[in-house]
Amino acid sequence: MSEVMLETKNVSMVFPDGTEALKNINIKIHRGELVSIIGPSGAGKSTFMRSLNLLNVPTSGEIVFEGENVTKAKGKQLRHIRRRIGMIFQHFNLIKRSPTYQNVLHGRLGYMPSLKGGFGRFSEEDTEEALAILERVGLGQQAFKRADELSGGQQQRVGIARAIAQSPSLILADEPIASLDPSSSENVMNYLKKVCQEDGITSIVNLHQVDFAKQFADRIIGIKAGEVVFDGKPKELTDGIINHLYYDKITV
Amino acid sequence: MGMQAEKLEPLKVEAEKTNLLSELKRRKKALLFNKVMIWSLLAFLVVWSWIGTNFSLSFLYTGITNITVFIFTNLLPPDFSAIPRYINPALQTLYMSYVGMVISVVLSLFFGVMAAKNTSFHPALAFASRSVITFIRAVPAIIIGMIFVVALGLGPLAGTLALGIGGVGILGKAFADILEEIDKGQVEAIRATGASWFQIMGQGVWPQFKTGFVAWSLYKMDLNIREAAVLGIIGAGGIGYTLQGNINLFQYKQASVGILMIFALILIVEFTTAKIREKIL
Repeated sequence: MSEVMLETKNVSMVFPDGTEALKNINIKIHRGELVSIIGPSGAGKSTFMRSLNLLNVPTSGEIVFEGENVTKAKGKQLRHIRRRIGMIFQHFNLIKRSPTYQNVLHGRLGYMPSLKGGFGRFSEEDTEEALAILERVGLGQQAFKRADELSGGQQQRVGIARAIAQSPSLILADEPIASLDPSSSENVMNYLKKVCQEDGITSIVNLHQVDFAKQFADRIIGIKAGEVVFDGKPKELTDGIINHLYYDKITV
Repeated sequence: MGMQAEKLEPLKVEAEKTNLLSELKRRKKALLFNKVMIWSLLAFLVVWSWIGTNFSLSFLYTGITNITVFIFTNLLPPDFSAIPRYINPALQTLYMSYVGMVISVVLSLFFGVMAAKNTSFHPALAFASRSVITFIRAVPAIIIGMIFVVALGLGPLAGTLALGIGGVGILGKAFADILEEIDKGQVEAIRATGASWFQIMGQGVWPQFKTGFVAWSLYKMDLNIREAAVLGIIGAGGIGYTLQGNINLFQYKQASVGILMIFALILIVEFTTAKIREKIL
């Protein structure tokens, strides 16, 4: 088995209101994998994913990414970890008023001096690269449109492009297709898988559509009520386990 | 078991229906009670204030006659020969308003960003900044003007500073409120790329903030013209100063020219800012 690039050790998360969102999660992610996390709404998929780049700070436990302790990282070190982790969101989270190519350029911010980045003075090299990435996700024609003029599927491809622009070693996709229609979903997942394979990027994708997870993932992790209840190959995910995961009925 | 469940089902639905209906009636009643309470409270407040201010319709009647007599015998017709005397003060008001606005915008950017919970460095700092803004808003510009007149002497400098500082009360609040309402998701996406605070502000917050920022800053320019006219009365320069001079000497026909000039200034500024807004946004 290939090298472990991300490891979580007893990661737990308790919200201020007392809800236990994550309970001792221990997971090892290997380089080059496309891992899909599935589970019902409110199971803690998002919370887990957002703790990996410290958008949420776990209450206890440790996260080690490429040898660095994420949970202890602060300031510059944390920013340097984050720039190696691309993130894709359910609601795309593009800067709506900014043009598409600039949204892709935002992926370069972590590599730029603070002031230069803040004023949006991106280098010609980065700009060329951003336009090339847009071509790769089939959006060369849309480069100069405002981000909110694009369709949902197109916006999510810009989201992928922004993540790719970070030259990341890991991509986190939090419900990337939950607000898209079936055909756009298929399209977005295809692009995501394609660019990850081409660039050798490891990816973790939260999905609530089991069929998509089975179709695209190399490995599936099932989370229920903040706990890992399944971890294995897509073909090992039987209907019984799915039932247990989603409907609380044990028919194994 | 299955049979029984099927038989029981319709009965249950029926019961639920009547329950829902009575629940709806109960809610409507509660709502009606609230409405009656609110309207009686409003009516009570009106009566109370009416008595408290000695408001009386007969005063209003005699007052209107006085106002009409004053307007037609003293104010009208305007003495247009006074126009040249008002040109320079009018321009001065314009400069005061503009420089005052720039000062307000710069200060408000700082205090607004620090006061908005999502862009501030610490909740305590946010609270402190909000307090500063609220305090400034509580002090009328004319009081701030008096302080500066005492400190710096009569003239437009005092007025300009009063406008600049006083403006933080409204602009700082507006900026902070706009910032607190921006889409968190977009900001988060920029943060997730490894961007620094300044980069998040420049690339994630600014594009969302820009529209409101420009609109409110230009609106402040509108407000400043009016406030500058009032500030003149305490000797803080501008058109109000000349107007006050005319009124003190009972030269009401010249004063009415001053009032018309203020009206014209406001119109011009409003027209110009509307054009600028169109161009920028």
